[in-house]
Amino acid sequence: MKKYMGNKLAVFLFVLPALAIFIIFDFIPILQVFAYSFTDWNGLTIPNFTGLKNYIELFSDRVFYTSNRNQIIFAVVITIYQMLFATIFAITISDKKMKGRKFLRVAYFIPVILSVTVVCQLWSAILSGEGLLNKLFEAGGLDFSQNWLGDRYKAIYVIAFVNAWQWMGYQFALIVAGIKSIPSDYYEAARIDGCSNVKAHLKITIPLLAETYKFCLIISLTGGIKAFTEMNILTGGGPNKSTFTLTYMMYNAAFKKSDYGYGLAAASIMVIECMLVMLVINFIFREKNQLKEEEKSRRKRNA
Amino acid sequence: MKKKILSTLVCLTVATASIVGCGSTAAGTETAADADAQTTEKAVEAKTSSEEVKEETKQETSSDDKITLSIYTQYADDDTKVPYDYAVEQLAEAYPNVELNLIVQAQDDGQTLKTLAATGQLPDIYQASTDLINTFRESNQIMVLNDVAEKTGFIDKLYDANKDLAYAEDGNIYAFPFSGQEYVLWYYNKALFEENNLEVPKTYEDLLNCVETFTQSGIIPLALFGQEGWNTAAAYDVIATRYVAGGIKALDEGSASITDDGYVSAAKKLEELVAAGLFQKDATTTNYDQASEKFLSGEAAMFINGQWYIEDATKALGDDVDWMFYPAEDEAAYEAGKAVFSGGGSASGFAVNPDSENAELAAEVAEFITEKYCEAKVMYRHNPLVAIDTGKEPDSEYPAMMQKLSDTLPSITSTTKFTWGLTNSTFNDGIQSESQGLVSGQFTADEFIQDLEDIME
Repeated sequence: MKKYMGNKLAVFLFVLPALAIFIIFDFIPILQVFAYSFTDWNGLTIPNFTGLKNYIELFSDRVFYTSNRNQIIFAVVITIYQMLFATIFAITISDKKMKGRKFLRVAYFIPVILSVTVVCQLWSAILSGEGLLNKLFEAGGLDFSQNWLGDRYKAIYVIAFVNAWQWMGYQFALIVAGIKSIPSDYYEAARIDGCSNVKAHLKITIPLLAETYKFCLIISLTGGIKAFTEMNILTGGGPNKSTFTLTYMMYNAAFKKSDYGYGLAAASIMVIECMLVMLVINFIFREKNQLKEEEKSRRKRNA
Repeated sequence: MKKKILSTLVCLTVATASIVGCGSTAAGTETAADADAQTTEKAVEAKTSSEEVKEETKQETSSDDKITLSIYTQYADDDTKVPYDYAVEQLAEAYPNVELNLIVQAQDDGQTLKTLAATGQLPDIYQASTDLINTFRESNQIMVLNDVAEKTGFIDKLYDANKDLAYAEDGNIYAFPFSGQEYVLWYYNKALFEENNLEVPKTYEDLLNCVETFTQSGIIPLALFGQEGWNTAAAYDVIATRYVAGGIKALDEGSASITDDGYVSAAKKLEELVAAGLFQKDATTTNYDQASEKFLSGEAAMFINGQWYIEDATKALGDDVDWMFYPAEDEAAYEAGKAVFSGGGSASGFAVNPDSENAELAAEVAEFITEKYCEAKVMYRHNPLVAIDTGKEPDSEYPAMMQKLSDTLPSITSTTKFTWGLTNSTFNDGIQSESQGLVSGQFTADEFIQDLEDIME
């Protein structure tokens, strides 16, 4: 293997197709997004350079701050929900004594394979003014009926829940795979030492899933920042743009107002935010790895 | 060293195989196509002796000469399907060599069309709104139809009231309009009003009384489909026009300001009506089908929609449905406001892609289809509010509501615009979302005014 890796030409040839696809379909478009964000492009005509005009307008737009707030709420809600429940469910079904684990493994993953549109229509029917949820409250004599998707402040939490519900299964699958890769010897040793099940998972499973959690965290947080589909279907971004995100701002500016320049300024900020989140996550987890290595080397020296 | 050379050769072989593999599909397709062609040729040769086959060949030749024009237009309900089907039928007689390839218009604020334009794939004929016309004018992706309109006599056929609809701001014709002046109508269920001993409201006080009575009876006073921004903008406009005749049209043109007293009063009045429960609670997440169902099933007492809804409402509710003049602050304002309607015409209709291979023919066909649309709307949809004088009569009597509107038309002195007729896209976006906020009851009238003022700045 080392010999093949030493052949730079071979490495280059194997990497080339993926690299070319990445450059053509990802890297160049991202550069174009940044370039066009400094213009008054309407999507069809030749763009004129307008300097920082789009960014100045963006930072003075009320919707920009609403969008950022929504993205944070969305990202936090889906991250907590998905990682918490995915971990609990994954640990639960990894117990071979548990009955019905095969069924549950499939059941938790089913929402993932459904189309987002189907899921949103389903929840729309449940959450609408005269939907199932309000009807259940009415039937139970409870005074909790409300306009779940039409509330200026609460709607974003409801939308985030719908997304979290659907994609929890994905993180569940990742964590299950991660748990399976942990050797059973660790648990046996822990049991011999008198460790309880819960403590074993806290001390063995979760620390050893650090890399899996890092990946889950990245997809949850960047997914939150990029959110669009659910709000588009469930609320149309309303009422009065109160469930907008930066992606929705981009869509609205480009397709409703033909102001691609402004829309791409919003997109640029979103790309920067996603990159920042990834950098921060990588930094946090790298720090931990480095600390572990330092600890190991210290122990070795002491021994 | 040998191994390095060997591994390099292996890599190159893999890469070459991949490239050849990718290309082979096309080559294979060509080969298959060639084979098919050869087989067809042989088959044709074998049949040349037969006279019947000659006939077939002739037919094939004539069908090969057919020109297919792509058309992007609405085809969703009877109001759009009936005119299109009629136009296609008539086209087959008038232009036997022309076929239409329908691409059904998406309800997406023109984004599909803009994407097609950006990628150079515009259909030959497309239904364009004012916003699209203005956008495509800048990029030269819409054909100037002045000559065709003159040659076909389209301009002469236009009703005087609709002459302006054909022309864009620069004085050119870019689309053949088929809709004439259209109006926002405030429909109501007569039976529900009678059952609840209510008179048709003339003032907002009357309206508030109706709201209270209907709410107590478990009836939604007015079903709004607020998921569509135009409907909430219309809800604001029907009130704004009671204070300022120009309504949202004057704001769009910049001849009035949202901070003017009339607009502020209208916003506050709408806020008050929303708080009283005029609309259903989830109005902003309700779509057209849901709201219409509520009205037609008697679950809601009132409904705001265009005059094109007359046919459907009459079919479902018969004599139990009617439209009312918009309520106003007092009876004097109510009487004066009878001459002012929300809605109006817009410079939208069938436009032509100038880069089409058959642009000239497409322009002629677009004009022909426009005429046929108008005819079908008059004859089969009982809608006389079309752009041109078709000389046709409806196949049955006009519904009572349409007759009432026709009788009212001569006294109408002022109209505003539907959102798709607005020319300022920033204001258009703003009024749709801000009015939605106001209707939701989550935003105050002051926020509405302040936000729109910021947007217009």
